Amino acid sequence: MALFRYSRSIYGGSDQLIGASWDLLPWFVGAALAFIVVHAALNALAKHRANQS
Amino acid sequence: MDQVASNKPQPAAGQAERVIRHPALDRLYHWLMASCVLILMATAFLPILGIKFEWLDIHWVTGVVLAALIVIHIIRALFFQDWRNMWIGLRDLREMRRDLARLFGSRIEPPKPGKYDASQKLYHLGVAVVVLSVVCSGLLMLLKIDTPLWRRNPYLFSADTWGVIYVIHGMAAMTIVAIVIIHLYFTLMPDSWYMLRAMVRGWISREEYTKHYDATRWKA
Repeated sequence: MALFRYSRSIYGGSDQLIGASWDLLPWFVGAALAFIVVHAALNALAKHRANQS
Repeated sequence: MDQVASNKPQPAAGQAERVIRHPALDRLYHWLMASCVLILMATAFLPILGIKFEWLDIHWVTGVVLAALIVIHIIRALFFQDWRNMWIGLRDLREMRRDLARLFGSRIEPPKPGKYDASQKLYHLGVAVVVLSVVCSGLLMLLKIDTPLWRRNPYLFSADTWGVIYVIHGMAAMTIVAIVIIHLYFTLMPDSWYMLRAMVRGWISREEYTKHYDATRWKA
């Protein structure tokens, strides 16, 4: 998985950085969804414990 | 007159007393900013996902509107509102630790917050950093396109510097996608529906105020 996008020089020079790789977008979405799942689970557990006590 | 001076709404006959949480101007700012962010996300990412349309003009004009809104917000927050409501202090960090401890099993109830709790302040700080990054890099990127207001000048920076500016813009934009998803989650949690109502209609009930907030830290 690439972190950045590069353009190749037509004159044979080194690759030029042109931005962040859009392949990362699903990872950002996945990180947000993972956060939600973990928070929801911990929150539900905390409420369960509070109801028991 | 006293009612206006104390900024405290009085209960109407047969109606529970209400506490103004977000005045109309704050709600207008919030929803305008939300609209701009959603338009910017759509015009940025739909073409990447294969939905092709003329996105650039909508994107940069909305970006300029968002930049103007942020400048207005900063001026209002610094000179016309109590900026300390959003300031993160040591007390907030201690309360955040207790909130986390409660989430992980501690039975000690964290103290009631002021108008905003520690996690909301931290969220605001994160949003401020990311949105300022995307807006500042976006304003620089405007130098690469012709608009009715200016001619393009792509030679102001070296190719390497432009690459870094584009990386900052792209990374910040993808972070905003994650932030928006998390924001929607907290907004739609049943526990916080009263806050969504406050952002739509402006008020919370006196009962919600007493239940969720420390009246000495948020005097309403």
